[in-house]
Amino acid sequence: MLKQMLRFNVTKHSLRCFVSQLASLKEKYPDIDKNIEITDSLEVQRDQNKPSLLEPLTEDISHISSYLKPTYNVAAYANKSETIQQLVKLGVNIAAIEKKKPEAVTDILKLSFDDIKGHIIFFNQLGLDNSQISYLITNNPYIFRETLDNLDVRITYLKFKQFTNDMVSRIVGRNPFWLSYRTQEIDDKLGFFQKTFHLSGKEVRQIAVAQPKLITFDQEKIKVNIFAMKEEMCFSPSDLKEILLKKPKLYMNGQRRLLDSFEYLHNTMKVSLEQIVENPEILTYRKKRLRERHLFLVKLGRDQFDSRKPNYVALTTMVKNDDGTFATEVAKSSVNMYNNFLKSL
Amino acid sequence: MVMEAPVVWNNLKGIICVFKPAELSVGRLRTMLIHKICQGMNELEVRPPINYVAIEGNPSKKLSVSVKPNLADHPLVVGPRYQEQDLPVSWSNYLGWNTSGVLLFGIRSGTKQAKFIRENKPARVYKVKGVLGQATDNCFKSGKVVERSTWKHVKRHNMERFLSAMQASHQKKMFEMSGVDLQSDTAYELAKQGLIRPANSKIPIIYGIKCVEFDAPNFTIEIHCINEYETYLIQLIHEIGLKLHSTAHCTSLKCIRHSGFKLEHALLMKHWSIPNILENLATCNEILTNLDGYTPQKNSVLI
Repeated sequence: MLKQMLRFNVTKHSLRCFVSQLASLKEKYPDIDKNIEITDSLEVQRDQNKPSLLEPLTEDISHISSYLKPTYNVAAYANKSETIQQLVKLGVNIAAIEKKKPEAVTDILKLSFDDIKGHIIFFNQLGLDNSQISYLITNNPYIFRETLDNLDVRITYLKFKQFTNDMVSRIVGRNPFWLSYRTQEIDDKLGFFQKTFHLSGKEVRQIAVAQPKLITFDQEKIKVNIFAMKEEMCFSPSDLKEILLKKPKLYMNGQRRLLDSFEYLHNTMKVSLEQIVENPEILTYRKKRLRERHLFLVKLGRDQFDSRKPNYVALTTMVKNDDGTFATEVAKSSVNMYNNFLKSL
Repeated sequence: MVMEAPVVWNNLKGIICVFKPAELSVGRLRTMLIHKICQGMNELEVRPPINYVAIEGNPSKKLSVSVKPNLADHPLVVGPRYQEQDLPVSWSNYLGWNTSGVLLFGIRSGTKQAKFIRENKPARVYKVKGVLGQATDNCFKSGKVVERSTWKHVKRHNMERFLSAMQASHQKKMFEMSGVDLQSDTAYELAKQGLIRPANSKIPIIYGIKCVEFDAPNFTIEIHCINEYETYLIQLIHEIGLKLHSTAHCTSLKCIRHSGFKLEHALLMKHWSIPNILENLATCNEILTNLDGYTPQKNSVLI
């Protein structure tokens, strides 16, 4: 059974090769059909016209070759495909695309460089540099599916909504998927934020530029996070808005992680809600990091987070810097002490 | 410091001793280690793409032979030179989710050494912390409190007396587990040599247990043991609580020694860089040669 299937595959493959060769020959010699007709009718004449098989062939037939067989990875095509060569010159990581989105590589291979040239020039005109363009293509190779007219419409929409050129180039450079969404979808997404947080137009632009990925982020997850902050952490709607404007990234974190950090800050470290709203970036740090540093400060007796009392430790400086700076400047101890403490946990 | 990746790669084999934090699985830690090593290796001077010989032109006339840069060997096309699936790493002792402490990983050909260490069944030392007065449903601090009891009557000497009785009964068990008849001459010969290992690798045996810190209701116990596992140690604290006419649950477990590897040799996660790892490999290699940990165990004597 397997042998039969293999044989069938082989014949199918050779048939395909033959058809492709025929097609390429037809392109080269448009009157090939005529020749066949003549030779069919006059066999004797053909024998006279056609050179003998023993004579050396001067015509170049090296372009007639079999198809590239299915390969292990895209590297087999790299020396032949101009598109891939140009993309690599630009700095696009083809290997990363192949690993994450294998079907996108077939799309790229089908395109000629002329098809994608327009897109690259378009991004360049938006003000993106080479590294930003390669980042965009590496993360969203599907961008070539969109026509240039569509991309133009989407940019015009942003300009119509009073985004300046710098803002647009930042948005496109930071969020590779932005241009893959239709104008209607982007409008809905921006509207969602404006309605949920009661933002003014200027504030919507501010968060879209500060964290472009947030706008196209999965809305269900954002809703879960809003629920967690509102109901489980008891932040008021105005607090939610302030957190969004100060640290929009928080809404993209996982709910579990957000709750863990909050629980440690509020219940163990006794940090008030107002203090968290003042510096929302402390919520972006993991509970593990908060716990390690807090316990070290507790051990040294320096856990004093009230700004009105002496020996006050600012929350952001506690978690922000690397371990060395934290141990020497915040905890007034040494790095070795801190490392030994970490091993004692 | 050598910056050429192939030279570093050749030296990157053996046993590495890392510090495992609690609430992180050993499997996850292994993935992170592999990721860190590959990332570090790819930042070094890796092999440049090899040129290829291109034969072009009309085959019936003259062909041109030229050497061209090979794009098929470019890191952006074939992927980075050192990939995560190419690095074999295995652990020689398994620590549970809640346990922190010394953990040994075998890297590349070191996986073989890791296997020998595992089969040698070296003794491990734990520091286990517990709290008197509360029993939880899983005997650990993460569980729900199911029972409260008084603990004021438990004094340090009560605990020490009970622990030494426990140690004595375990030492008796050690001879029973050796796999020889207790009345035989072989058993006598074994007993003469001192502590022995169990023949079975499944049954936990405690060689030494003592209370190192007693600040009621908190206490810390140091346990020297073989074949133990996390739930066994947690259950042990629960049992100690019951035997002292109170209740107890475990709050933290830490492996402070594994064979000759101590906490001071363990590499913290933030220090996982290529130079530190190479240094650690050399230190561990030295400890292993001193311990003779490469060869499989032939007799049942403990260390």
